[in-house]
Amino acid sequence: MDVLDLARTQFAVTGSLHFLFVVLTLGLAPLVAIMHTRHAMTGKPAHERMTRFWGQIYVINYALGIVTGLVMEFQFGMSWSGLSHYAGDVFGAPLAIETLGAFFLESTFLGLWIFGWHRLPRWLHLACIWLVTLTAYASAFWIMVANSFLQNPAGAVERGDHLVLTDFGALVTNPMLTMALPHVLGAGLWTGGFVVMGASAYHLFRRTADRESFTGSLRLGVVAAFAGSLVTVGFGYAQFGPVSLFQPDKFNGTPLAGIGLGFMILIGQLLQVLIMFVLLPTVYWLPRWRWAHPILMLITPLPFLAAIFGWLAREVGRQPWLVHGRLTVADAMSPGLTKGMITLSFVGFVGVLGLLAVVDYLLIVRTVRRGPAAVTLGADGPADSTERAHALSL
Amino acid sequence: MDILWTGVFALLLIGYFALEGSGIGVGMLLPALGGTQPDRDRVVAAMAPFVLANEVWLVAVAGVLFGVFPSIEGEVLSGLYPLVVTLLVSWILRDAGLWFRRRLDGHAWRAGWDWMICLGSYGLALSWGMALVAMAGGLSGSPIGLPGLGGGLVVAAAFAFHGWTFLSWRLPGQVTGASRAGGALLASAGVAALPVAVLLAALAPWLLEHIAPSGTLNVLSVMILPFAPLMLGAQVWVWRTFGPRRAADRVPSFF
Repeated sequence: MDVLDLARTQFAVTGSLHFLFVVLTLGLAPLVAIMHTRHAMTGKPAHERMTRFWGQIYVINYALGIVTGLVMEFQFGMSWSGLSHYAGDVFGAPLAIETLGAFFLESTFLGLWIFGWHRLPRWLHLACIWLVTLTAYASAFWIMVANSFLQNPAGAVERGDHLVLTDFGALVTNPMLTMALPHVLGAGLWTGGFVVMGASAYHLFRRTADRESFTGSLRLGVVAAFAGSLVTVGFGYAQFGPVSLFQPDKFNGTPLAGIGLGFMILIGQLLQVLIMFVLLPTVYWLPRWRWAHPILMLITPLPFLAAIFGWLAREVGRQPWLVHGRLTVADAMSPGLTKGMITLSFVGFVGVLGLLAVVDYLLIVRTVRRGPAAVTLGADGPADSTERAHALSL
Repeated sequence: MDILWTGVFALLLIGYFALEGSGIGVGMLLPALGGTQPDRDRVVAAMAPFVLANEVWLVAVAGVLFGVFPSIEGEVLSGLYPLVVTLLVSWILRDAGLWFRRRLDGHAWRAGWDWMICLGSYGLALSWGMALVAMAGGLSGSPIGLPGLGGGLVVAAAFAFHGWTFLSWRLPGQVTGASRAGGALLASAGVAALPVAVLLAALAPWLLEHIAPSGTLNVLSVMILPFAPLMLGAQVWVWRTFGPRRAADRVPSFF
């Protein structure tokens, strides 16, 4: 592989890893917020246990979302400085808005939520997780604005040797964005729903404690996955319109883009039929059908796979362009980048992040298996009401 | 508008050093101050509630660098290439240590991640010091060298001092054996941020020269400034909630 291939592979691997964790973050955030709302309204210890249990899974998953995102953010300048030179005045704006107006708040409020257990007033603590959800969605919006600009450079004109932002409205209403954003958010909800469904199925199958809670969460997972799948599939097909307009050869140019699209549709369509015609109509009885639970566990990873295939189709189908029709990937590569440099960072980033990703998934599986009783999110110790009284009295 | 956004960039970078400098310093001191596992747990529990709110300042720095100084962004990050790699890998290891250390119960597991926190914190401090020296030298020549190493040691010492003061403020009379008031913590934050503040003052004309056009800056102002009170308010809320007055250290919290 030459320098360009290595730099591209590095970005593709960190980007794929990033999205594997982000897609679950996007989907789990609203579900944890819903559970926390139920806990805040009823005050039932069982609801607190479940909120902390799913919140703990959310938090373990979030760790890898952060570190892979960091590497992506810095990689733009390290490997692709041609992009910031040519299109930075336009492409940089949504990225800056995302970090300041969305992620900055998301991270701060997540810290308050994690460590605020048994410390913050009930409704303010609840507000934190809803703000985390809201800002996570805002993050997704701005990142998709930036990505859609690469697919179709709307709102900008070329002046001299670089692009200038002339129409911010056009940038945020890019036709390559409007159909793709709900598609991505729907995929997140679908993935989150499947994880909640699969983990609940595990506990019901093993006949562990908290049977009632996991019955409820399995149903919540199926309903969330149903809503997510409708949005994802609907806005998936809706994208063929803008794609045929702006990138007519997107899925014919390289075999990988076509393969990605094909497998994504295959997985998505099969799962959607299963959810709509089997899981949703039987959702009342499903928690009692022990024979069905291993199947639910087995299909849990499929939305992750479909999400990666989807991004392969969108991004590989953009090649050889970085900014479609304007700047090629090869021209955007940093001028001084040598094979030694990219090899060093490739080993550092891809090696470390890949290893941590495996560890992270093993930890999530282990947290799921140990169940709500073992969760120590935020404050240590059992999550019961006596503990709270104890903590507040100190 | 140019001065406003240069100021925002400077505020974010100085804020990162002043705030996260304490977390990095605590990480460096972790083996020295935490002889036993319960000691290290207490040290980590003291800093953990602040980490997410602190490190996000650097994420914001990178975002503003891209949005406000696009022509500088590529030059700086590719000019400092090996240092950016060590900085990011150190950051990743430090964060992984914080997030993972309590996920398994084994002694070796937790002690191992504690070493990762320490190693990552040293890596962060040294990389930053070397990066500041390389920036001061105008990115000419190799970013790694003897003067850079000297800069790294200075930043590491400043962070260690800031971390030590933070622990004396957060857990008075416990881990460090000393007690420090909020004023002393502010002063040590000033020490931690001084190197980068000096550098930014020297680089200000160069930054202003390379700022994005007014069309881009206007968009950023309209989209970001309305959120500024919420951003600052949330940060203040973190420090009020998890400060020593709430006696919260009696209920240690972790990721």
